[in-house]
Amino acid sequence: MKAPFSAYLNGFLPWARQLVDALQPHYDYVSVLSTDSVGFTIAMSQRSKSVSNTNMTTERGTVVRVYRDGLYSEYAFNTPCGTPQEAADAIRTALDRQLKLLHRTHTPVYETGTLPDEPLELFVEKETGRLPESENLESLVTFLTGLSDRGVQTIPSALDCNVRAMSTHISKLFLTGNRCLRQSYVYTEGAIAAFAPSESGELKTAYKGVSGLGGPEILDGLCGVLDELPKLMTDLLGSEKIVPGEYEIITDPGITGLIAHEAFGHGVEMDMFVKERALGADYIGKRVGSDLVTMHEGARCAESVTAYAFDDEGTLADDVIEIDRGILKTGICDALSALRLGTTPTGNGKRENFAHKVYTRMTNTMFDSGTDSVEDMIASVRHGYLLSGTESGMEDPKHWGIQCIVSRGYEIKDGKLTGKVVSPVIMTGYVPDLLGSISMASTDRVVEGNGGCGKGYKEWVKVADGGPYLKTKARLG
Amino acid sequence: MMFASVKEKLQAIGCTTYELTETTVTAWEFYFIRHKLDQNRSTKVQTLSVKLYRPLDDGMLGSASGTISPTASDAELETTLKNLYYQASLVKNPAYTLTDKPVPLYKFAPVDVEAIAEQFLSAMQAVPETETERINSYEIFVRDVQKRFENSNGVTYSIDYPSSMIEVVVNAQKDGHEIELYRNFTSGVCDAEKLTRDVETALKFGKDRLLAQPTPKLGKADVIFSTADAVELYRYFGARMSAGMQFRKLSDWTEGKPIANYTSGDRVSIFAAATLENSSHSFPVDEQGALISERYLIRDGVAESTWGDRQMSQYLDKQDSSIVYNFIVSGGTASDAELHAGDYLELCEFSDFQVDPVGGDLLGEIRLGYWHHDGKVDVITGGSVSGTMQDAIPSMRFSAETKQYDTVVIPKETRLYGVTITGIQ
Repeated sequence: MKAPFSAYLNGFLPWARQLVDALQPHYDYVSVLSTDSVGFTIAMSQRSKSVSNTNMTTERGTVVRVYRDGLYSEYAFNTPCGTPQEAADAIRTALDRQLKLLHRTHTPVYETGTLPDEPLELFVEKETGRLPESENLESLVTFLTGLSDRGVQTIPSALDCNVRAMSTHISKLFLTGNRCLRQSYVYTEGAIAAFAPSESGELKTAYKGVSGLGGPEILDGLCGVLDELPKLMTDLLGSEKIVPGEYEIITDPGITGLIAHEAFGHGVEMDMFVKERALGADYIGKRVGSDLVTMHEGARCAESVTAYAFDDEGTLADDVIEIDRGILKTGICDALSALRLGTTPTGNGKRENFAHKVYTRMTNTMFDSGTDSVEDMIASVRHGYLLSGTESGMEDPKHWGIQCIVSRGYEIKDGKLTGKVVSPVIMTGYVPDLLGSISMASTDRVVEGNGGCGKGYKEWVKVADGGPYLKTKARLG
Repeated sequence: MMFASVKEKLQAIGCTTYELTETTVTAWEFYFIRHKLDQNRSTKVQTLSVKLYRPLDDGMLGSASGTISPTASDAELETTLKNLYYQASLVKNPAYTLTDKPVPLYKFAPVDVEAIAEQFLSAMQAVPETETERINSYEIFVRDVQKRFENSNGVTYSIDYPSSMIEVVVNAQKDGHEIELYRNFTSGVCDAEKLTRDVETALKFGKDRLLAQPTPKLGKADVIFSTADAVELYRYFGARMSAGMQFRKLSDWTEGKPIANYTSGDRVSIFAAATLENSSHSFPVDEQGALISERYLIRDGVAESTWGDRQMSQYLDKQDSSIVYNFIVSGGTASDAELHAGDYLELCEFSDFQVDPVGGDLLGEIRLGYWHHDGKVDVITGGSVSGTMQDAIPSMRFSAETKQYDTVVIPKETRLYGVTITGIQ
């Protein structure tokens, strides 16, 4: 079925058009982004249960962007504002108050050109199996509760088994004097986390999730996730601390995605180029990885949790090849940064929600597949680890450092998995060294999109990443 | 907004137990590239949060929470409330009660976002910079948060408080090589003097990082934490005393018992505070309408009291507990000489230093440290620190002097002994 565009936004559209009309005489550019996204979060465990009609991406509100005298300004609101003319007057008054303060403090403006506004109409309703707002929550709660119950029975020493499910039906309307874009799509994610004490009393967490473009039917995949958790927990309970050092490593698709995200996802967000905060700006056209490294970015790359048709500035989604056989080709760019850099926006202008500013943000960030089998990759390792289970990562675009915290490392010696597991593992290194050392890549490719991505320590948005198994070298601790 | 309308509809559907919270956030935001204005933003966002409860069979209590848009139509409001009340029947938890203790009427000074914003703008323009150490970019967020709460037991309160944040990126240059450091300061209002001091420290660290050599392969070393990353160490203690972690058996710290087999370490004391000067969360009542219960969570290394929401607290038979937003860690007994004796690695900058509240693992990639050894100091970068809090607590020492980082006060310096350092040369 098609995910139907919000009836609320369709009703709001004439009012928003009049708001644009009322503001246009006073500004050189006016746009309106309105959102109406509904969904749910359900969390089940043995100790507590909850249900909510909110999650990370549910929202309803409007942000107006205006431009005058080289400066872009925004006003975000979600309350009734009277007539369009009254709303326009209120917006101008609020922004003029800020401009007076800026004048009083002699604040100079980073002057920027005018955004283009070529005519465009777009109406996209993406396919979904079911809708979160009409989901039979009784059945879903029973299903998730059953998973939690089965988890504590089957996962060794489990104290509890938390099952979490979220689904959102996103509708967005983007409007300017010449443009009217509307899109509607549904994404869903779920995860299971089990906790168990090791012999030394240290609590271990076994975690795995599912996600994708589509409705709550995606949560059926949690059955397969639960089947994997007993072994994951056994691995963790028997794990040791790693002896720090540099090792040959094989990354599973989840860790491959984490590297893609932290290494050359954040590293080529071009709003960082504008601020001269990214080393990548100096490396366009230069080698940053081995011949096996080809990396894509874009909402059109995969039907994932972030597979939108247009971004939060009304730029159409794209599929950008950032790195082509080891050579850095380009970055990703929001519309204002593109104006400042004299380049083309790539459909990566995203907001945490309507009330937040646009930044250049990732969508799907992924390595291309290779030609090797995982068995051959393992057989080629003299002493190293197969890394699996993403915990967290942190970018460092200015210096190309990378930090990835990984749940488990499976020891490989003389081409064979020894059965020894280390946990947790912190992988650090210099990005060009890490990517330059990639010597094998598997034929398969997986994209995952659980959780959220921040810029610095804020501005949380949905992203997805992935790729094949990769063989490289890294420092582990 | 529409408390009256919501209550009327709740009565119609038979819901007699509820909590309603209306939050209105008025914000001024300014984004800078160097000292030039990139963008100015003004926002006014209102959120009506509701939590509906439903008594179920066998002494169980159902609940469902959600938000209602201020632009919801009457029909939409009714449908949302009906759906939530139905959903409340699907999740069954052991029963607990809402607060019924009246909250005194508090008076709050009006929050002037314009005045606070002006202080931030002026403070940032006045930070001393040099040709080689300068501000790259910054973002100023000033918020006036107004909350109104009411539950079905007739408990009501209104609060109004400032909450600010400034993100600052600084650069340092030497011989064509440039590095950056990132800061994210949160507070109630603008403390210009403190902000200037903190940015100046960041600029100094930036300058030092340009001189840094790769971290040596130290294996095990004593480590001193002297910056905001140390907050993560102490959050671990607070988390272990939370009712949620205790009830879920994710923490085995028991009231009246030491939290560790102490050897030579300073005993940790943590006090839960309702208010803290210039904290971004300084108010006397929690989000469930309970007066914030000020108390020691841990005193002299002995677990004393838990904190948390009403559900988890009552499951632990704690009737007078509350959510807490501010924590004060007492200073230790280590003299300056004791704290800095022998060889040690002072770690000042990480990519992202983390302490896992469940497993106790501490991990972080080192971006800047000072390796004090053999009477000299080497500036180092790269590699990582790793260990566990379980191993660290029995011997950790900390300074008597304390420092505030927004909602927490912690010892100015904390020394961990025998932590793993993965060096790179």
